[in-house]
Amino acid sequence: MVKYNFKEIKVVPSGKELVDIILSRTQRQTPTVVHKGSRTKIIREFYMHKVKFTGENFKKKLSDIIDEFPRLEAINPFYSDLLHVLYNKDHFKLALAQVNKARNRISNIATDYIRLLKYGDSLYRCKCLKIAALGRMCTVIKGIGPSLAYLEHVRQHMARLPSIDPNMRTILICGCPNVGKSSFMNKITRADVEEQPYAFTTKSLFVGHTDYNCLRYQVIDTPGILDRPFEDRNIIEMCSITALAHLRSAVLFFLDVSGSCGYSIAQQAALFHSIKSLFLNKPLMIVCNKIDLQPMHALSEEDKRLVDEMKAEAQKTLSIGGDQNGEQQVLFTMSTLTNEGVSTAKNTACERILGHRVELKMKSKKINDCLNRFHVAMPKTRDAKERPVCIPPQVLEQRAKAQEGEQEKEKRKLEKDLENENGGAGVYSASLKKHYILASDEWKDDIIPEIIDGHNVADFMDHDILERVMELEREEGMRLAGVAGDESEINGDDMMPEEREALNAIRKRKKALIQEHRIKKSTAESRPVVPRKFDKDRQFTTQRMGRQLSGLGLDPSKAIERARSRSVSRIGRKRERSVAVDGFGDDSMEIDNEGKGSYKKLRLRSVSRSRSRSRASIEEVVPGKGFKDKKQKVKAIKLGKKSVKKRNKDARKGEADRVILNMMPKHLFSGKRGIGKTSRR
Amino acid sequence: MRLEKCWFCSSTIYPGHGIQFVRNDAKIFRFCRSKCHKNFKMKRNPRKVKWTKAYRRLHGKDMTQDSTFEFERKRNRPQRYDRINTEKVLQAIPKISKVKATREKDHITKRLSAGRVNRRAEDRRELEQSISLVKAPSVLKEDATLTLPKQKVTVSYAQTENTPMEE
Repeated sequence: MVKYNFKEIKVVPSGKELVDIILSRTQRQTPTVVHKGSRTKIIREFYMHKVKFTGENFKKKLSDIIDEFPRLEAINPFYSDLLHVLYNKDHFKLALAQVNKARNRISNIATDYIRLLKYGDSLYRCKCLKIAALGRMCTVIKGIGPSLAYLEHVRQHMARLPSIDPNMRTILICGCPNVGKSSFMNKITRADVEEQPYAFTTKSLFVGHTDYNCLRYQVIDTPGILDRPFEDRNIIEMCSITALAHLRSAVLFFLDVSGSCGYSIAQQAALFHSIKSLFLNKPLMIVCNKIDLQPMHALSEEDKRLVDEMKAEAQKTLSIGGDQNGEQQVLFTMSTLTNEGVSTAKNTACERILGHRVELKMKSKKINDCLNRFHVAMPKTRDAKERPVCIPPQVLEQRAKAQEGEQEKEKRKLEKDLENENGGAGVYSASLKKHYILASDEWKDDIIPEIIDGHNVADFMDHDILERVMELEREEGMRLAGVAGDESEINGDDMMPEEREALNAIRKRKKALIQEHRIKKSTAESRPVVPRKFDKDRQFTTQRMGRQLSGLGLDPSKAIERARSRSVSRIGRKRERSVAVDGFGDDSMEIDNEGKGSYKKLRLRSVSRSRSRSRASIEEVVPGKGFKDKKQKVKAIKLGKKSVKKRNKDARKGEADRVILNMMPKHLFSGKRGIGKTSRR
Repeated sequence: MRLEKCWFCSSTIYPGHGIQFVRNDAKIFRFCRSKCHKNFKMKRNPRKVKWTKAYRRLHGKDMTQDSTFEFERKRNRPQRYDRINTEKVLQAIPKISKVKATREKDHITKRLSAGRVNRRAEDRRELEQSISLVKAPSVLKEDATLTLPKQKVTVSYAQTENTPMEE
């Protein structure tokens, strides 16, 4: 919730703004219309919803405000003290308490008015109640207006506080005003603190960060402190006092040995002694600044004595282990103008704070948990063999050369130089294959095939592939020989061509039978059974019979004779001459022969059976049964035969789908659409 | 550059074709065309979709186990370029593909040969049974050959079509 920067606290709206926000939200997000004529329950619910909604929103907003601000007891004492110094803890708490009170009052108002609304009898009365409720809530908010304004002011200031991490390694810079603290700060960190010749340029704490030995250190610049009794200090000084008091850090006390800050060394020493209680348990360093104006050896006796006193104080804070360099670790001389001694001061400060922190950690109880994790494993020697450090010979040579002090470094020819020689970046393209390690150098420029015939060459790579292929081919040869034997067996059973022909004829005959049957079936109900004399189609002629019988291989002559001799028309007639067999039928059978009265010269032609039977030749079709002429009847017969074909209800590919002659018929792809879009005609 | 196999239909995917889908568990699915991709999105199992290689192999329609498959195997180790070896491999690949193709063809032929035998038996049976439709049994008895008798058909000369309406 509250981190060490207060930038994430939400904006606190002023009283008026808050009222506006909530009321407009209520207006937008609750139903707006209710009718006089609706049921009382509906009217009551409508207004209750509005009051409840407003109340809850106010409550939520105010709760947010209260929650967002930090509770001074719950945060780090440094921050709570800092906030107290800046904003006065009591005032802060009071403001938040007022907001809390307002919140409670508003929820009470809401509950009260909702209870009243339950008994509202008319729309007008409910409406008045709602207006009263909302009005009272808004008045409450108006009342806490000043508190909200104060909280907003505080929030804005808090957001701009520097983000100081109280638990990080810190270096604190303190001293009298104008001694050079900010300039030192600017030298060692990237913080751009204002440095001016007048006192109290720095009015608040500033944070910077510096690195030493791969670790990050916080550096805090404070405003100058004056030598005054504690109660008389102003807010700015209190900031630095707070920092000194709470942050566990290394303290650099700055001394201006030249006196150009306006305070003599005596005054500065007095200040030092007055605040030295704050330096307890902190690594302390005295830094004498501005030695370019006043070198150290030219100090007066009095001043030297004072400085020594301070140094003695500082040495007390030294850790036990480090008193060899006692002198160097406590007192520094530097000049931020000429950069003399700046880095030594910083380095020593960093080391001392680090040492201090490590010491504390070692003394604490927690370290025992960690100690068992610190263990450097040394392998036990298992045999007498010596295993010295392995250094490649090239490195040894280089080291020897460096020792001998050979200045010239052999400059290797870089690829870039090669490029520049051969025409520059766009002209020369480096040969990437130059350093390939191959069995033979000629192969470096080879184009390696990756794909052949739909296979990846890399998948076949094998050093003994040719032998395996030969074996494979041998196997294949043997297998093929075996297969050939099987084949001849199977193929031997095939049919003779005559048998094939006969089979085809059989199948054709069967198909014709089926077709005939289908035609008969489809017209079965509408086909009358007509006596022979009214049979216009001439289905039952001896010619036909003769043809069919001869197609089967039998001799029809006897059958025809018999048929004729038994025909009705012959009854009562005398014996007549027998008629010739081949197709030259007696004209007396066909009474209504069209126009062929006389004998005609007939050409005898032998035709294969299939032609003779399947199709009734156009001469045989007799127009009748409503057809105008032979052509029409032939067409009708054709259509009739087509119609008995089985429909392709499975939607499988049929004969017509084998070849699509026109892939884009014009009528499907052009013109206006009756329905739909052009992309989906 | 590698030729990949389509996950659905097992056809080769040439560079510049198809779509690759990487699932959250980092498994890569490659498809040769949108037909396969859409089938995959419909969660169809390629082993049940008739036209895929997976189905055909599973149902024994295509050859599954053969020594020619051992030659083509994806090796994950990089190998140093060796001209001699590469030449050998390039010579070997067409031979291997030829053998593989003949074997696959033979596999299918063998599979279909049973059908052929059945069909032949059927034809013979049909011929024996229904020969009476085209040749009278008495004629067959005399003349055992299956040569069908030639039939003489009368074809008259010029036909005039002036037929008055009947009735």
